[in-house]
Amino acid sequence: MDKPHVELDRVSKRFGPVSAVAEVCLALPEGEFTTLLGPSGCGKTTLLRLVAGFFRPDGGEIRIRGVRVNEVPPQRRSTVVVFQDYALFPHLTVFENVAYGLRRRGVPGDELRRRVREMLGFLGLDAYAAASPLALSGGQQQRVALARALVVEPDVLLLDEPLSNLDAKLRTRVRTELKEIQQALGKTTLLVTHDQEEALSVSDRVAVMEAGRIRQVGTPLEVYARPADRFVADFVGVANFVAATVRAVTADGVVLESPLGTLTAPGGRSFDPGQQVTVLLRPSALRLWAAPGPGRLPARIRSTSFLGALRRHQVKVGELRLVVDQPLGEGEAPPPESWLAIDPGHLHLLPAEA
Amino acid sequence: MVSRRGIPFTRRAARAPGDALTLAVGLALAALLGVFVLWPIVEVVSFPTLADYLHLGENGRWLRATTNTFRMMVLSTLTATALGFLYGYALARAGLPARGFFRLIAVLPLFSPPFTLGFSYLLMFGRFGLVTHGLAGLEVGILGWWSLWIVQTLTNFPYAALAVERVLAATPARLEVAARNLGGGGLAIFRTVTFPLARPAVAGAALLIAIYVLADFANPLIIGGDFPLLATEAWYRIDGWGDMRGATLVAATLLPPALFLFVLERYWVGRRAYAVITGRGSALADAVLPRPVRGLLLFACAAVAGLILTLYFGVVVGAFTRTWGVDWTPTLEKWETAVAKADHVANSVLYAAVAGAAATALATVAAYLVDQKAIPGRRLIDFVCVLPAAVPGVFVGIGYLLAFNRPGVPLAGTAALLIAAFVFANLPFGYQVARAGLAQIDRNLADAAADLGASRLRILWDVHLRLIFPVCVAAWTTIFVSCVTNLSIAVFLVTPGTQVATFSILGLIGDNRLEAASALTTALLAVTLVVVGLAWRVSRRARIVPGVIGG
Repeated sequence: MDKPHVELDRVSKRFGPVSAVAEVCLALPEGEFTTLLGPSGCGKTTLLRLVAGFFRPDGGEIRIRGVRVNEVPPQRRSTVVVFQDYALFPHLTVFENVAYGLRRRGVPGDELRRRVREMLGFLGLDAYAAASPLALSGGQQQRVALARALVVEPDVLLLDEPLSNLDAKLRTRVRTELKEIQQALGKTTLLVTHDQEEALSVSDRVAVMEAGRIRQVGTPLEVYARPADRFVADFVGVANFVAATVRAVTADGVVLESPLGTLTAPGGRSFDPGQQVTVLLRPSALRLWAAPGPGRLPARIRSTSFLGALRRHQVKVGELRLVVDQPLGEGEAPPPESWLAIDPGHLHLLPAEA
Repeated sequence: MVSRRGIPFTRRAARAPGDALTLAVGLALAALLGVFVLWPIVEVVSFPTLADYLHLGENGRWLRATTNTFRMMVLSTLTATALGFLYGYALARAGLPARGFFRLIAVLPLFSPPFTLGFSYLLMFGRFGLVTHGLAGLEVGILGWWSLWIVQTLTNFPYAALAVERVLAATPARLEVAARNLGGGGLAIFRTVTFPLARPAVAGAALLIAIYVLADFANPLIIGGDFPLLATEAWYRIDGWGDMRGATLVAATLLPPALFLFVLERYWVGRRAYAVITGRGSALADAVLPRPVRGLLLFACAAVAGLILTLYFGVVVGAFTRTWGVDWTPTLEKWETAVAKADHVANSVLYAAVAGAAATALATVAAYLVDQKAIPGRRLIDFVCVLPAAVPGVFVGIGYLLAFNRPGVPLAGTAALLIAAFVFANLPFGYQVARAGLAQIDRNLADAAADLGASRLRILWDVHLRLIFPVCVAAWTTIFVSCVTNLSIAVFLVTPGTQVATFSILGLIGDNRLEAASALTTALLAVTLVVVGLAWRVSRRARIVPGVIGG
């Protein structure tokens, strides 16, 4: 088994009375794209800055290739950050911005020019070498920042919400580019974002953070489909939660009594009969039908939003409010009084919260 | 996201190798501030005995000077602020034709020796004044306290005008249009929207003006006549009677009110000033005021501008006149005196240039250390760096005499002493400008440089100094002008070998050689404007917008 490239071992960081990062353990495997996902103020940027060396941890250990780096200043770490607002030097040209790190490393002139040119070419910035970064668009500035970071050939690339200043359409395009560049270079990458869609779409692994702690680490599919707890389920994607009681645990799965009737969820965890649980139903696990059928429940549609590839309905089943996503390919919009079907294969059980 | 400004930055990680150096620089700075800012103050205040202080009330001349000083301060502050408000309001809202011209007039007094207006007033209304003697045929001058009042008003109104204009220009007239839309009448809008918006700026400017009037030395000396004020009284005590105890008593009287006004301005008004909304003035500005009001404002501004221009014109004409008030034949002969005293102008420029550079450098170092939270006791350093703004020039002059002009002190009687006094008297301005400049620099820029391998000194050079360079040029320029035109400090510290132009001009006026004084003043004004113009070009060429990326 490979040793992880970057390892955080029970790392803590306090700012006065505020515990920003609390005993976090996280491993970044070599060449993988890991994302720290969490809401504002959850400590994810602090964690990134700890890895970069801008902060020194109050407790725990940060190791890069097995070597403790707690006391190593950012200048002497093999990590480079792309900042949220890019932090391009406004008094230098694009070329000089990109060349900055090479100059600090004493790279000789010819090699420096060659490497900067190559990097500018790689990111499609040739035409802007002599321009001021102030004259560029947001997307171009973002690429200059990326070029400036990549040209020094860092071991680890740290991306601090690099896409949050771009408009929605550009963001989608740039994140695809980002993923392709990362794959092409095989760089160990840590991305910080509060955008779950961004996290799921680019990452090999996602670490969901809340209040200074990591709640779950897993592949995008794992955190989406099998979240560890209600917070993760809610933060990653749209979620319907239904309280239920375990009736029996059988070979087919866990039999539940719920306001939606009797449900059978796939097993996998040990649940005891009589236990209170929360059932997670992703909107895509639900379907609306115009006609009744076995296991279908009467549902009233409260409102519908058209989202392009699907329609998202807010429905009421008895006293329960649920969100249902209906792919567009499934024909006509369902009538206001419809019938709800549940795909039992997509139920996920969470421990009920106090 | 936690906002980046909200994240307390620990510099420790990047600090290790530079720590010793930083601490050494911090200590050196603290020592300099202690010796050159605090010690002279202590020397002045502690010179008189306690008994001297206790018997002040029995000193009739002191009482008169104190009452006069405060009367002049209150009167001039009121009129200068009111006129400044009117002028600034007109600049921002009245859609004046030739706005640039009117603004230039408002800036002019800031770039000329503080006594220029007093001097030209003397030329116009003195014993042989153009108006009093030439036009009205009088044989007496109309000098005295109310002349001084007029001159102080004209000298100081620009501070209020520029402050009000800046605030109003940054506040969209849309607010006033909106108020009108909601049914407010003209006066009601002014009372409920415009004035409250400008109030912190007006209050701040009024306090600054009060400090300037309180401390002003040159104008009272020239046109005050027999109207003793504290600042001039301190000078007469030393110059006339060699009475150092009397002089320090008078100077010490000036300090508490100046400090009080200063603290009020900095910690009360300064905190309350509304965040200035960025952006240029609005195109709607003109629509707000009715035509008659605009006409009235234009007339008022034109009258003020006309008066100021006439006064300056008088100085220039005086330089080319045979005998002011008697023989108006144009001549160049008075320039002989000016040429003979060219070395005084050269001294002025040299000392001011050196003092400007030293003050800017010191201020930048201090601002950097405080900004980066790199040294202990930074609140105290911060306070001492701005403290000299509250100390009147006369006080500084006497303080430096007492502290350094004694046997064994290498600075005694040298130009270096005068320059040192200039440096520390002007430190606050440079310091505040540098702090503001540094505060504009996004901290991520420094982090990005560190991340890419730049050492701490390298970051200081590549990021901080490069980005605040234009600001430093501006600070240097202002300090240069302030030193070139200074009289209140120079008057105490010049020696026969280190004469400066303002002191020579004062001497010429005292000898009633008004034409030669005009010539020298004109020369000084011209040199100042040339240097300012050059500095402006340098800073323009280097102009970049700090903090725009990742502002």
